[in-house]
Order: sequence, then structure tokens, then C-alpha cells
Amino acid sequence: MAGIQEVYDLVVKGKAKKVGAAVTEALEAGCDPTEILNKGMIAAMDEVGAKFKNGEIFVPEMLVAAKAMKNGVELLKPHLASGVAGAAGKVIIGTVAGDLHDIGKNLVAMMLESSGFEVIDLGVDVPKEKFVEAYEANPDTKLICCSALLTTTMNAMKETVELLNASSFRGNIKVMVGGAPISQAFADEIGADAYTEDAASCAQKAKELAA
Amino acid sequence: MLTAKQNMIECIKGGNPDRFVNQYEAIRLLFHPFMFASPLLQEGQENVKNAWGVTQSFPKGTPGAFPVHTPDKIVVKDIEHWKDYVHAPSLDFSQEQWDQCKAMYDAVDTDKAFKAVFVAPGIFEQTHYLCEIVNALTYYVEYEDEMHDLIKYLTEWELKLAEGICSNLHPDMLFHHDDWGSHDSTFMSPNMFNEFLLEPYKEIYKYYKDHGVEYIVHHSDSYAATLVPSMIEMGIDVFQGCMETNHVDELIKKYGDKISFMGCIENADVDKEDWTDEACEKEVRRVCETYGMKHFIPCIAQGGPGSVYPGVYQSLTNAIDKLNKEKFGIEDPDSARMPIEIMF
Repeated sequence: MAGIQEVYDLVVKGKAKKVGAAVTEALEAGCDPTEILNKGMIAAMDEVGAKFKNGEIFVPEMLVAAKAMKNGVELLKPHLASGVAGAAGKVIIGTVAGDLHDIGKNLVAMMLESSGFEVIDLGVDVPKEKFVEAYEANPDTKLICCSALLTTTMNAMKETVELLNASSFRGNIKVMVGGAPISQAFADEIGADAYTEDAASCAQKAKELAA
Repeated sequence: MLTAKQNMIECIKGGNPDRFVNQYEAIRLLFHPFMFASPLLQEGQENVKNAWGVTQSFPKGTPGAFPVHTPDKIVVKDIEHWKDYVHAPSLDFSQEQWDQCKAMYDAVDTDKAFKAVFVAPGIFEQTHYLCEIVNALTYYVEYEDEMHDLIKYLTEWELKLAEGICSNLHPDMLFHHDDWGSHDSTFMSPNMFNEFLLEPYKEIYKYYKDHGVEYIVHHSDSYAATLVPSMIEMGIDVFQGCMETNHVDELIKKYGDKISFMGCIENADVDKEDWTDEACEKEVRRVCETYGMKHFIPCIAQGGPGSVYPGVYQSLTNAIDKLNKEKFGIEDPDSARMPIEIMF
């Protein structure tokens, strides 16, 4: 477990350059790759998410932690059984049409990845039809997450969710929404399944919804 | 009745304002030649490269231009070699160019309004415009030396700009833009903020104050309550764009004698497709009653007079005028201010 603890500590501290060596050492010491992933990295990101939510750390620290985890996962992947990385499920994410803001969406994507999801990031300014196309190309998707930062693009979010709600695959997915002007009331009004205030909460909620 | 400018000074000083300051009524935002060399985008313009090489778009129906950061458009491809990518644009303008701007400053009725030079983007914004925001925020942790060097380079450029502005245009107010947070949090911890941005801003704002600028208004339409002590140290007189998540009532009590707060009418609450005069008035009344008229200026949070939806800014202005008439008997506010300007 010492090797796994080292990986855990380096992810929490965001030491992206050092985490690879720690993963290698843990593997060489005979640690189970899945345990390194779950107890060393995903658990570490849970702590990072909690610290972010409590205001103990800020966006830069969360970003470097996510980067450290990503580096570690890349090294671990060849040792993991097929499908273990991303085992929590597939998520499609994007900032809705007309909105170029990406920081919130990127943070959510990183936290989802760090929670064991496979994330398909459609980027910013995503037309509603693209969300549907992305699902059709990935019919095993469990969640679709839409972000908006502007009051002026709330309508684009509404239209996107309406299109998803009218789709034949709606029963197979959960729709999550977020962004500065979005509220639980707005999420309810447009028929989304969930709204969360921040990236860490989103990852927690996503795990519940995808379970 | 005080002029709009006198009233704003009384408000900032915690003296005897005779009415609520009405948004930007006492601030005449004015340009400098660099803004013509690297103009602000107009709504609808897409993928336009500015003088720093940053590509921006201003989609229709949004509040302003925004950098485009597809991988091919990120200026700094390698932070360890940022000098290979970041080339500060020239600030050598002809006297004729300065004089053309100076005419705008000379046209201001300085009894009624401040001549406020508009400077944007700020240092932090410029780092993430050049690097892309996730990259930039990561670099602040992983490449501290490079970020300090980049910020020094940007600061020197801003100081040169300040020198030109002060010696040619003689503003008495600086309106400086740099968003330091989101609705609920700052982008970085106060410690990191101080490590990277406190000294550069102290230097820039000191230069302006040493060269004729009386008031520094800093725009950050965000949460930034934890940065207020640093803002005071930098020399900021007015924190414009403050959102209610800052608990402005507490900030006024704690810091009002050192810094004033301008905002609390958030675009998200009033600047909407279904906006109405009634909703604007209701929000104005609530905000004015909550925060009072000393060290506080009720104002739309966005960084300049205007609104996303046409009519909202004027409606808010009318509502504050109406309140001032009811509470203080101000019948003709227009006689004490320059014509209301809606820029955005």
C-alpha cells in the first residue's frame, strides 16, 4: 500500500511530473493496477474535489491534480484490464451554442475523468444537434452534460435539453446542466435531470446517476 | 444639488452625497490610440486577431468579445519559450493620433464627469488570453518563473502605455479591466494572487496616481471579497462589478473608508430577454435599500455603461432617478450630469 499512498499524495499535490515514477514503482512493488487507479488516483481526486468545494484549494491546484492523475492513468492503462479506465461510464459534455466559455466545462470534464468516466468533450459553441449526433455515435453514453455561462445562452441550453428530451434515446441517458446563470429551478423548468453548483459536486452527482 | 462627479466623490469618501450615484453617470469612458490600433470587436465579428496575436470572437447576443482557443489559435505554444511567441505591440503613436484622442478628453465637462481612460484587458486576463485559461492557470503552479517573467513583460508594456496616456491625455480616472474570479470564487487563492499580481498592479496604479489620475476604478464582475485587502494595497478606489456573493454589506462596513463598491445589479438578474421596467425598478430599489449610498454605487455589474439587451441600462438609470426624486427630491438629474452614454 505504500506505493499507492505515494501515488495518492502526488495526485493530491498535483505533482504531474512525479506521479509517473510513483505509478511505476507501485506496479513494480506488486500493487494491483486497479487498486492504484481506484485507491491511489480516483480517491485522491475525491479529496481534491472536496477541498475545492470547501475553498481550501482553487482552480489552479485542481487543474494540476487532474493533470497528475491523467499522467498516472496513461502509464497505468496498459496494465489495466480492458474497460477499467472509464469504467464509471461514458459522458458527453459541451458548452452550448453561442457560448465560448470553456473553463467551467473543462473543470467538470476533468473531474468526471478523474472519477472514472470516459469523457467525450465536444468543446464550446456546440449546436444542439451535435449532442444528439455524439450520442448516436456513442450509444453506450450514460450522461450528457451541458454548460452555459451567459444569460443569453440559457435559451440555447433550453433548446438543447428540449431536443434531448424529445429524442428516442432519452430513457437511456441522464442530462446534467451547469454554469453561472443556471439554477436548480432553471434545470427543473427545462427538464434536465440534475444541476450542480460546481465541478466537484457534478462528479459526485454523475456517479450517483450513472450507478 | 451636487454635480454627478461631486456626488460620486462624496459617495466614495463617505461624505455627504445628496442622492444615489446613478451607475456610470459620472464616469466618461474614453479611449487611447492603442484601442484604435487593436480595436474592440463589434458584435457579430468572429475570429479576429488583435495586436497581440490573440484571436477573438464576439458572437451575436453575447455581452462581449471572447478569446478563441482552438489549439491552432493559442498564442503561447510553449510556456518555457514564451518569448518566442509573445511580441508586445508597438505603443509609438504619432502626436496626431494622441491629439485625436485628446479631443475626446477635452470635450468632457469636468465639473460633471471624470475623464476615465479605459484599459483592458488586464494583466491576469492577458496571461490567459495568450496561453488559454486552463493552460495559464496550470502554468501559475507549474511554471512560476516563466509566469513571473511573462507578467513582468506585460507590466512593462502597461507602464509604457500609462506613460503615453498620462502625458498626452491627462485623465483624472482610470477604468481598468481584469476579471479575477467567477460568480462564487476567485480564480486563484489570495496567496497566489498576491505572489503574482499584487506588486505589478501596485506599480501600474501608482504610476497613474503619480501622474494626475485621482481615482482608480477596477472592474472584475465576480466574487473577489478575499482580494479586497490586496485591492486596497494596490490603490484601487472603486471595485466595479462586485456581485452580491461578495457580501457587499459586510465589505462596506469593514473596508468602506478605504474602497468603494460599484455593482450588485447583476446582468443575470435583470439583463434578460424578458426584462421589464418593473423588474429593473424592483431590483434597483432592493439594491439601494440594502447597501445605502455611502461607499456604494448601484450599477449594472458589467464593465461599462450598457447591457446585453437594449433598454435595460436606461431602464436601470430611470429607476435610480425615480428613487432619487422620491427620496431626495431630485427633479432634474440631467442638469447635473453629462448626457447618459450607452456604449455597450
